[in-house]
Amino acid sequence: MKKITIQLNGESRRLSVVPNLTLLDALRGQLGIKTPKEGCGRGDCGACTVLLDGKAVRACLILAIETDGQTIVTLEGVSKDGLSGLQKAFLKNNVFQCGFCASGVILAASALLVENPDPSEHEVREALAGNLCRCTGYEPIVRTVLQVAKKTLTKAPVRGKRS
Amino acid sequence: MSKTCIIGKSPVRLDGLAKVTGAAQYVDDLDFGPGLLHAAVVESTHAHALIKKVHTAAAEKHPGVVHVVTGKDCPHMFGLYMKDRYIFAQDRVRFVGEQIAAVIAETPEAALRAAKLVKVTYVPLPKVLSLGDALKKDATLLHPDLAKYEKPPWFFPRPGTNIAHWRKTRKGDVDKAFKNASFILEDTYTVPRYAHCPIETHAVTGLFDLSGRLTLWASSQSPFAQRNVMANALKPFGLSHKDIRIITPFVGGGFGGKAGVSMEIIGAVLAIVMKGRPVKLHWTREQEFYNTSQRQGVIARIKMGVSKGGRITALEHTLHWDAGASAEYGANVVNAVGLSATGPYRVPNVKIDSVCVYTNMPPCGAYRGFGYSEFHFGLESHITRIAKAIGMDPVKFRKLNAIKEGDTLAYGAEMNPGDMSQCIDRVAKELRWGKKDKPSSRNRAIGKSLCCFWKAPAMPPNASSAAYLKFNEDGSLNLMVSGMELGQGFLTVMAQVASEVLTVPVTKIRVETPDTDRNSYEWQTVGSHVTWSCGNAVRAAAEEVKDKLIATVARAKRLKAADLYLEGECVKSRKKKDVAIPFHEFVIDGIMRPDGRFVGGPIQGTGMFMPEFTSALGDPETSQGGHPNVHYTVGCAGVIVEIDKETGKLQVLNASLAVDAGKVINRDLLNGQIVGGIVQGLATALYEDIRYDSNGRLLNPNFTDYKIPTTLDCPVKLVPMAVETPQPDGPFGARGVGEHTMIAAAPMIADAIEDAVGIRLKTMPLTAEKIALAMRGIEYDDVKGDNLGFCFRGKPCDYPFDVGS
Amino acid sequence: MSIACEFEYAKPATLKEALRLLARRVPGGAIPLVGGSDLVAWLRDGAIQPGLLVDLKGLEELRGIKLKNGKLWIGAAVTFSEILESKLVKKHAPLLIESSGMVASVGVRNRATMAGNICSAVPCCDSGPVLQVYQASIHVSLPRSRKTIPATKWFVGPRKTAMAQGGIVTGISISTGKHAGAFAKLKRYRGEDLAQASVAVRVDAKGLWRVAYGSVAPTPIRGPKAERLLKGEKKPAAVLLKKASAVAEMECSPITDIRSSKEYRRLMVGVMLKRSVQLAAKRLAGRVADYGINCLEEDA
Repeated sequence: MKKITIQLNGESRRLSVVPNLTLLDALRGQLGIKTPKEGCGRGDCGACTVLLDGKAVRACLILAIETDGQTIVTLEGVSKDGLSGLQKAFLKNNVFQCGFCASGVILAASALLVENPDPSEHEVREALAGNLCRCTGYEPIVRTVLQVAKKTLTKAPVRGKRS
Repeated sequence: MSKTCIIGKSPVRLDGLAKVTGAAQYVDDLDFGPGLLHAAVVESTHAHALIKKVHTAAAEKHPGVVHVVTGKDCPHMFGLYMKDRYIFAQDRVRFVGEQIAAVIAETPEAALRAAKLVKVTYVPLPKVLSLGDALKKDATLLHPDLAKYEKPPWFFPRPGTNIAHWRKTRKGDVDKAFKNASFILEDTYTVPRYAHCPIETHAVTGLFDLSGRLTLWASSQSPFAQRNVMANALKPFGLSHKDIRIITPFVGGGFGGKAGVSMEIIGAVLAIVMKGRPVKLHWTREQEFYNTSQRQGVIARIKMGVSKGGRITALEHTLHWDAGASAEYGANVVNAVGLSATGPYRVPNVKIDSVCVYTNMPPCGAYRGFGYSEFHFGLESHITRIAKAIGMDPVKFRKLNAIKEGDTLAYGAEMNPGDMSQCIDRVAKELRWGKKDKPSSRNRAIGKSLCCFWKAPAMPPNASSAAYLKFNEDGSLNLMVSGMELGQGFLTVMAQVASEVLTVPVTKIRVETPDTDRNSYEWQTVGSHVTWSCGNAVRAAAEEVKDKLIATVARAKRLKAADLYLEGECVKSRKKKDVAIPFHEFVIDGIMRPDGRFVGGPIQGTGMFMPEFTSALGDPETSQGGHPNVHYTVGCAGVIVEIDKETGKLQVLNASLAVDAGKVINRDLLNGQIVGGIVQGLATALYEDIRYDSNGRLLNPNFTDYKIPTTLDCPVKLVPMAVETPQPDGPFGARGVGEHTMIAAAPMIADAIEDAVGIRLKTMPLTAEKIALAMRGIEYDDVKGDNLGFCFRGKPCDYPFDVGS
Repeated sequence: MSIACEFEYAKPATLKEALRLLARRVPGGAIPLVGGSDLVAWLRDGAIQPGLLVDLKGLEELRGIKLKNGKLWIGAAVTFSEILESKLVKKHAPLLIESSGMVASVGVRNRATMAGNICSAVPCCDSGPVLQVYQASIHVSLPRSRKTIPATKWFVGPRKTAMAQGGIVTGISISTGKHAGAFAKLKRYRGEDLAQASVAVRVDAKGLWRVAYGSVAPTPIRGPKAERLLKGEKKPAAVLLKKASAVAEMECSPITDIRSSKEYRRLMVGVMLKRSVQLAAKRLAGRVADYGINCLEEDA
């Protein structure tokens, strides 16, 4: 058993973990964080996506014990102080259907727009390619992210990278 | 049709906010406190074997283990239509992955470790992994007791064989018609199994409390059907419907895989065994693949005859289905196809044989499309081929033969309204049919195709919906229905129906996911039927509430009810313009009379819809005489593809679809079904590829090797369209579309490939590999190796369809 | 789902301590952990049951991308995302931009490391063929020594490397110099997929070609016959390309498995060789600037 401290959605949280506890299980089982979901356990579906020090990662492929001292953001953190522009747009456009992929998609899209506020359609698709959705066919998701990017574009757009 | 207010608009989904904020809860999100127990299942490693002994001692001793359950503790069977599935394997196992025992422990890790310690001694039996093995003379029987199984009267199993059901449809005289046909085409098509892949795997938590009440929280499309199946199967434990409560929170994707019962009944039994403590069973992604239900594989032989003018005169359609180890649900898929495998065409002479066959493979069940995607692959491919063979444009051919309202269906009943011609015209226009498009480089080739589709809900003749509406003090409504929100937007559509009748805005209507104790009955959320069926029930309930609103005001104010109407959440009078009584003033409290006494009280209403015109009493040898399908939804879809001639890789440049929805209740949600369905359908056509080894073990139970679409795999352009020919008995004229949108995907790809590069593929999936090899004259079947994509080993043209009658 | 196997975890602060921990005799053995994208999945599957996981993310030596002694140095803890964002990699080893962009998806690339990728050494490893055409060196620290293993000798068999038990990869170095190249990957669709076959080519200003194949042999392998055929040609003509494709098809030894038949793999190796040589030639001539194209699926 080891005690670790993480910054979770803006708050400092201390928890006891055994080495074989994944970050996903620690969040869902010990910290009451239910938005990252278990979809496959192998990092293939993206439903467990969280932001670790700002980067979208697969919580099911990370051991909780590795994250001592790090910052984690989940959808609970994004929703805490009111809806973000992305969330409002996803809501207005009736994008999500079953909703199970929503947390991962919103976080991945949020991380993209921080890094690349003016993405091309291909860059949006590439950034979300690891978030599997069985319901929507993706078109409304991609369209909405592009819509939001255009709306919140700063005066000096950053040229996106082709990955 | 009169103008509507909210019907036809796209209000924000009722569950939208919950889903974008993460507030939406799914079964695995629910907390049950530190007393929650976790279960892990011990699974068969054999496709067919006798169980000699199950050694549980080591597992029982493992730290953290509370109990181990085996087949001995639960020798019961279950089934939705036919009772042929075992809660725990008894004397034998029938597929790799079948549950033999379950370990219940304090932590998931302890349960997993202990499950590995359970050792099973098997005596292998001959494996039946192919249709050939299942249907040959002296085949090993998977269900020797088939004759004893409970089943509906409209299922026809063949005891003494591996045939679980055989649906025959006979109309006219095919032999005579073939003799007189101007042109005949006959060929064989194969479709392998497919997996639903909802992103949320199956999950159930059960609590059999100390008072003997069983509550299950399940990720399910059909809580009432589940309750019914369980009440039937768990009778030996002394339970009936009143003792079982099923609560279904949000479901992370169903697609038919969460209809009926699969692993949930294991959860129920474990809960009963652990009386007083909740037990959770949560399927891994692997188990989701091999131990829930899969979409059946099928091999189909089609023989079609046409007249000189291009009219279809005869169709002989034989389908042999690989149903897996249990056909309790899959037999109805086979049944549905047996009635409808003419496709949406006028065919005067019909012979359909749809045969459901047991194999030692994972059980199959409902999958979006319910057999229709499977048979449309062959049928629509065949239609295009036969049109081309007689020198007729395939679009013209389809329009000429398109089924219309009033035409006689294969089983004798009449076709309902639906304008497939208009759908064809709209898709053809979108694809610029007839114009040859230029490929983006010399290396590539463009192909176009257009296919039609239809489907009816496959329901028992007494599948019903019910609804209950009640007001709150602020004039808001609670609508209690038990249709499931799978993501299709069901809750919102029901709210729109109620809103249209009662003028309460959708934002003031709460529709929650069901609880069988609290919500009104719904047969199942399947078949693309709940918009229609439950919509009718909701409308009836709303009309009853409307009558009560008016009656209360009429009584209180001594007005004529006939003069009163609803507008802007008020009861108003056509005669007295100053009368406008807001709902919130009286829907709980009633209305005070001048003498201080109150009239009225809490206002609520109920509605029910049962299709009283359907019946399954058709002739078992011909299917004539019944009215088994309530109505068909028709439509058309097409694609423009570009194929790289060297690699075989195919990109969909345009996917267009027009469906006759009767009345579009919510445009955004309809588009969601079209876009989502097209992408899911294209995936089955292009790269979803299930593989088994020669021991019957599923080789790719994961997303690493069973590929489902990503953002990078979408058509460049998607064009969803709707046509509205009202469904006379539908709410505001609506009929369902949820499954239809994926049905034409495979044949339209097959046709487009042939149009582009001249290769006709008759075995799904239609991968780049198959195309590239075919272009170089190499047949894929010759090089694919041992891993079975389909449970018929040889060449499809060699498959012996003749299995008697 | 849960990881059933139990193990200990240590996060050393120095390389010396890390090596000491990895040398510890524990039941199940001690193994290094950096990104964990393969490792944690294997733990969950029960494919490995170590006694101790040694987290190397605290080691400063493993971080960073820099020019060191005229060579491009990529630390072992550098993620694929960091490689993709690196101006140094873009300038000195742009082929790595191409291959790294095809590994899994963003969420995995933010965590997975190239060093981890070659330590897992699965036959379909994406980095292998590229590091081989770059003739990269893999730098290994052992308890009492340091070793440099060429990428062409690194892969010994499926999931087997030339690194001794208990060693730690500290980084990978690549020589700099004007060159161009291309990496092509055969996948079942445009979404993330393990390679069913891959081809990496590199050409320098003199027209010297290096070719490597992935996922069509037990390890990534060089293609000496194709290299010899192309030698000196900066703009190979169609006839030569056709010959080279045929040679490439014969140089590899693909198998049939659930992902692909050997026939298709072989044919596609030929196509990939042709297209990647064409693309590399264009890049050498300055006619295409971007790296990040899978020429089996897209046009430049």
